[in-house]
Amino acid sequence: MTAEPAGVMTEPKKQLKKRSRKAEIVKPAPQGLRMPKAVRRLQRNAPAYAMQGLVELSTRLREATGHEIIDLNRVMGFVQFAYQQRELAQRGTAYSVDDFGFDPQWTESFLSVFKVLYRDYWRVETTGIENVPAAGRALLVANHAGVLPWDGTMIKTAMFVEHPHPRHVRALVASLFMGMPILSWFLRRTGQTVGHPDDTRRLLERDELVLVFPEGVKGTGKPFKDRYRLRRFGRGGFVSTAIRAGAPIIPVSVVGSEEIYPMIADLAPVARALGMPYVPVTPFWPWLGPLGLLPLPSKWRIQFHEPIHVETYPPDAADDRNLVMALADEVRETIQKGVYENLKRRRSIFN
Amino acid sequence: MTGVSNPLGAEVARQLAPQVRFLFGCDVADPVSALEEMDFVHADTRHAAIAKLIRQLRIDTVVHMALTVDSAQDGRASHETNVIGTMNLLTGCTGPASRVERVVVKSSQAIYDASPTDPSFFSEDMVGPEREGPSATRDLREVEQFVGEFALRNPHCDVTTLRLGYRVTEETTLAKYLSLPIVPTFAGFDPRLQLLHEEDAAEAIVRSVLGEHPGVFNVAGSGVVLVSQAIAIMGGRPAPVLFPYGRWMARVGLRALTGIFLPGHLADVLAFGSVADCARLAAEFGWSPAYSTRAVMDGFARGKAAEVIEAPSPPQEYELQVFLQRRRRQELRGHQPGSTSLVTRR
Repeated sequence: MTAEPAGVMTEPKKQLKKRSRKAEIVKPAPQGLRMPKAVRRLQRNAPAYAMQGLVELSTRLREATGHEIIDLNRVMGFVQFAYQQRELAQRGTAYSVDDFGFDPQWTESFLSVFKVLYRDYWRVETTGIENVPAAGRALLVANHAGVLPWDGTMIKTAMFVEHPHPRHVRALVASLFMGMPILSWFLRRTGQTVGHPDDTRRLLERDELVLVFPEGVKGTGKPFKDRYRLRRFGRGGFVSTAIRAGAPIIPVSVVGSEEIYPMIADLAPVARALGMPYVPVTPFWPWLGPLGLLPLPSKWRIQFHEPIHVETYPPDAADDRNLVMALADEVRETIQKGVYENLKRRRSIFN
Repeated sequence: MTGVSNPLGAEVARQLAPQVRFLFGCDVADPVSALEEMDFVHADTRHAAIAKLIRQLRIDTVVHMALTVDSAQDGRASHETNVIGTMNLLTGCTGPASRVERVVVKSSQAIYDASPTDPSFFSEDMVGPEREGPSATRDLREVEQFVGEFALRNPHCDVTTLRLGYRVTEETTLAKYLSLPIVPTFAGFDPRLQLLHEEDAAEAIVRSVLGEHPGVFNVAGSGVVLVSQAIAIMGGRPAPVLFPYGRWMARVGLRALTGIFLPGHLADVLAFGSVADCARLAAEFGWSPAYSTRAVMDGFARGKAAEVIEAPSPPQEYELQVFLQRRRRQELRGHQPGSTSLVTRR
């Protein structure tokens, strides 16, 4: 309750409002319960104290065991994430998204977490990153696996970790996910759009780097026994779009994504009832509940292949079904070969 | 010109009046502001008499704005106004007795509806013949089909259809919804929103009346804002509480909670977003809306914050204008007795 009597305050206030609209410094109203000063100081300094404690603990543990138990670099990733989120909350409405609903600053705030996953969790080895142009349009075509699209996330992160000119990769997702709550919001805001030829063309015309998974949900929803066997590459629509937009196709093969969620069965009737493409059963899901959503830490290899220069064809070659199917097969073969080569290179799933 | 009593219609009439020789307006309601140069009559497009009116007055340009897209009316009432009204109007424009050379129809971006399977941008030829979706979408598709058939049968006639983007003014449902202090939104969805400024909407119609631009055009501001961003600009707070599936339930709930009735197409837009590609407009008209979506939103928020200074024109003014109009017409008749050449384009 304010100390001033109400009658005295009303009239001068009205006059003030009429006369001028000067900015005034508004002090926050005192809250009901105010903590003692010492407690408030402690609250303010808590993050710094926690960090100091963690550094101390890390040093002690290293001295005691001779190993790096708590890697401070990893911890810093999460701290950075927390601070970036706070910064994002402070920008209010002073941000803009592009016409597709992409918010670069917001997307980059997640990178610190994805980088930890990239380096330490899946220990991704990326080769051929020099095949991706630093500027201009290109269409990345990759194999799709793993029940959840972590492969797309890791390709995006690879562009930021490995490439000398980091760029945002704009992936195309099935329209099905655009109808799902939370996913639709997250995917759009991080730069994804619907896998529609019209959208692909528009993105390429804006000289973006577009990622497409021609296998679609057939690739992510395949059983574990069929791992690393590429599915049909749609109907070659991605080739037509690339030819029309004059963008080179860069095949990308990903190894390791198949083992993150070994899918032993598919509950097709449940999936049909829920309107989902598949409902997976893995050794951990749904038995362990949300813990079953944790992907396995398999060893990943991502290879960017030499670009296939389809932009050398005239735009009306996009209607030549023979050429389009031949090129689609070529892309598929390159990716399949890359997958096999990388599989040979690894000694076990985790190494 | 039909539908002159809605605010956009009144604005278009105000801009057109000094530029054409003769302006005849009709609507079922009284005009919001008086206009000396315009002849006004209470006429209902739902009755076939409107066709006779067009022929008798020898109208050469028809601006059809009596289409309700964003209203709390039930579907059947809007259907009468939209579909039957357009049918009657176009009947008046056909036939040997008609002198109509140009038809401008105000359509809406609601014709596209919104669904997750749609591409990110709607271009003009993405409207299929299917009759599904919310009632406004179905009506508009039927209306545009009539207009398209009319254009095919009357090649001498320029037919322009403008699909206007969503607008935020005091009257629109979208504006009322966005200016709630706590805005219930669809849980887990934060779609893109594209808006059109009222001035740009009026200018687009005026340009298509005065110029020769046959075809169908999207008209909307450049850029997008997210729904959550729009709410924040208005100073509200989004509350993701509406269930995104079975959206009629959410609409009923919203009506019970806030008294705002979202039309079906608007509920779809607030879940999936609708953005139109206006490249054809820019190419054909050589003009694009001056206000971007963000500018429209900021302007609306500023307008809300400011106090209303100007009172709407007093009712006597209308009487006065009508009196002056009658005087003017009597003088005119004195100069040219039995004149019929009033109806000409500039």
